[in-house]
Amino acid sequence: MKYLNLTKLLPAGLLALTASIAMAQSGNGPTYDDILNGFNDPSRWLTYSGDYSGTRHSPLTQITPDNVADLRPIWTFQSGTTTRGRGWETTPLLDDGVLYVTGSNNYAWALDARTGRAFWQYRRNLPDDLTYGASAPVNRGFGMLGNQLFMVTLDAHLMSFDRRTGEILWERELADYRIGYAATLAPLIVGNKVIVGISGGEYQTRGFIDAFDPASGERIWRFNTIPGPGEPGSESWPDDPKILAEGGGGTWMNGSFDPELNLIYWGVGNPNPDYYDENRPGDNLYTDSIVALDADTGQLRWHYQFTPHDVNDWDANHMPVLADIEWQGEPRRVVMVGNRNGFFYVLDRASGELLLGKPFTATTWAREIGSDGRPIILNDGSQGCLPDPWGSTNFYPPTFFPGLDLFILTARETCATYVSEEPANTPGQSNFGGTVFIDAEAGYGALRALDVHTGDLEWEFTYPSPTFGGVMSTASGLVFAGDHEGNFIAFNAETGENLWHYQTGSRIWGAAAITYILDGQQYVMIPSGTTLTAFALRAP
Amino acid sequence: MLCPVRFFVILPRPDPARIIIAMAFKVIIKKLRTVFLVCGAVFLIQPSYAQEVNPLAADPRAARVGGSLFRAQCATCHGADAKGIESIDAPDLTLMYLREGVTDASVFQVIREGIPGSIMPPHTFTDTEAWTLVSYLRSAAVAGTTTRIEGDTARGLSLFNDNCSQCHRVNGRGGSLGPDLSAITNRRTQDALVSSIRNPSASIGRRYKPVTLVLLNNEAIQGTIKSEDAFSIQIMDSNQILRGFRKSSLREVIYEEVSLMPTFPVSVFSDRDINDLLSFLQSN
Repeated sequence: MKYLNLTKLLPAGLLALTASIAMAQSGNGPTYDDILNGFNDPSRWLTYSGDYSGTRHSPLTQITPDNVADLRPIWTFQSGTTTRGRGWETTPLLDDGVLYVTGSNNYAWALDARTGRAFWQYRRNLPDDLTYGASAPVNRGFGMLGNQLFMVTLDAHLMSFDRRTGEILWERELADYRIGYAATLAPLIVGNKVIVGISGGEYQTRGFIDAFDPASGERIWRFNTIPGPGEPGSESWPDDPKILAEGGGGTWMNGSFDPELNLIYWGVGNPNPDYYDENRPGDNLYTDSIVALDADTGQLRWHYQFTPHDVNDWDANHMPVLADIEWQGEPRRVVMVGNRNGFFYVLDRASGELLLGKPFTATTWAREIGSDGRPIILNDGSQGCLPDPWGSTNFYPPTFFPGLDLFILTARETCATYVSEEPANTPGQSNFGGTVFIDAEAGYGALRALDVHTGDLEWEFTYPSPTFGGVMSTASGLVFAGDHEGNFIAFNAETGENLWHYQTGSRIWGAAAITYILDGQQYVMIPSGTTLTAFALRAP
Repeated sequence: MLCPVRFFVILPRPDPARIIIAMAFKVIIKKLRTVFLVCGAVFLIQPSYAQEVNPLAADPRAARVGGSLFRAQCATCHGADAKGIESIDAPDLTLMYLREGVTDASVFQVIREGIPGSIMPPHTFTDTEAWTLVSYLRSAAVAGTTTRIEGDTARGLSLFNDNCSQCHRVNGRGGSLGPDLSAITNRRTQDALVSSIRNPSASIGRRYKPVTLVLLNNEAIQGTIKSEDAFSIQIMDSNQILRGFRKSSLREVIYEEVSLMPTFPVSVFSDRDINDLLSFLQSN
């Protein structure tokens, strides 16, 4: 036996040597070119979606439909911090065998990817009068550039850390949290900029997308999601500077980026107040829209509004998914969105032209988009059985499977009645402007695969309750998803056949899996409850 | 390429009644708002009278909505179960309604105005939000049958032993398939208890939903669902044994509408029988 072990050690030693050389070369962290390189280096996961496209589709093929049944947990990490009413929504970043992970309540860690043991832990001392940040104390991950990490906070700051020590390099206030602002997304690094957005659309806030200089922490540009008086888009609001200044439009889920067009794609949230609309007649741009911004200047290039004049809290804070596909015989650069309002959209991402809009749930809000590109609204929610405010899907990532041309997302079938009522409109107090009555008995969830050319349902797998888990796919033909009952599940991407599942012990909520190569072996990782679990086909 | 039909696809049952109720609800809310405006005018003249009646009292969804709001806005001090947190002197709100003079209207007022001189602050909840909180607190409150039920307690014990104890427990004796009925009259009203005896399927508690599992050998197992996910189901079978199944080991999962509890119509249990039974239950 000892002899056998020695022979096994030899290649392992060689591998370690190679790895240490690689580390010496790249130990100073990713450059912008490395992030652009995306999935081409599968030993890294350098940005929220793994690359800029938001497809969350990895080229890895070690784990296949044939062997995925052998997938087993290798280690778990217990964060020790809970998230009341929500989930562990983070996407870890991986570089040089180290995972950089954010948690709820602005905890953060650097973990040994081989064992789950921590190098360092950070916890922010948060003020005790948090506003939106108190009701959703979540965080979706770091941004990383060189040896710097970037994290946003529940008191609406942007922080930079030294990734080697967890030491704070600088921090900047994004907005005054006491009014209702907070920040929860994973910063997006584009060129020499850190792009972030803001939460708090239920309060007297005005949403924005900011670009910061990573070295100095100085702000380079800001795009306001609610126009100022007289600016383009302001005609979709009442002529009242106060209403515009508190119009909502949060930008709390990060976006995607097309380096060739130099455009950033970002979703914008609900108008304020959510359900009460008597003070805000009009379409209320750019709420519930996707915006395409020039990465250098933050200038708006185009927008498309999914839910004009929203009264159902249907933020468009989704990961815009970029792909180059054949569209009616021609190659087309598209952006795809599965929206909270229940429609799946395909748009030309250079021009913003709407190519397809089709329902993927039983939503009674609308069943078709008119020839003017606007939904034909049938039920505003006062007539019952509309998707609830969490929507037909939500911010948790979908995946796009090229070749099969499937857009795979977690759908929610729910039934709610909306009753609007004038809110108090007080700084620091949420302004939902009504009450929603949800029929808890009627809801269920489903993983659905849509043909991107038609929006048709190709397959589905149903869950017993409305589900909030994200999705990832791999080129070997696998889809990984999580459900509300805590199952981490693998499917055959082509057929939807369930191939494997593992009960993690707590619901998978707002998070999607990542996958990477470590020491020659493919890993899959998912956060759930307070636990991060790494899976592989065999123990290392 | 639709997936082959699985046995466990849970199809949503469209329920027109629900939609109609929801539509009617909106109308009711609008009417109540008008009523409230009138009351509001009275309120200005005579400040000691706020709206007396919770306009959402009849809607079971109000308590659920209020519960969410409570957990988001009130649970930090009062606990997610409203039972209070001793270490910070936050009171147990489930006992609140047992105190004299506490009404829905007074609870509404405390939510709105706070308690001067205490840590309980005023709140800017909208009327509907505040009433849903009242509905939630009412539902969470320890409230039951307040009057003494007239009946033959000894006869009630005998009826209980003959008809109920196989599935229900009182003071540790009896079965476990149905809920424990010790002190049940402190938690439920007499009307609600009568209704549960006469028509048990009208409202079945969350942990007592009936199910039939068909095994691969076609053996059928009845029980109540304790938990379920996409791949497994956990039940107490009709022999009161906890059993867990992988759905892959089942031919079918049939979600039943009819409670495992038999109905007791007048021909089986007279009104007098029920009074005797409830009198026994109240005596414990």
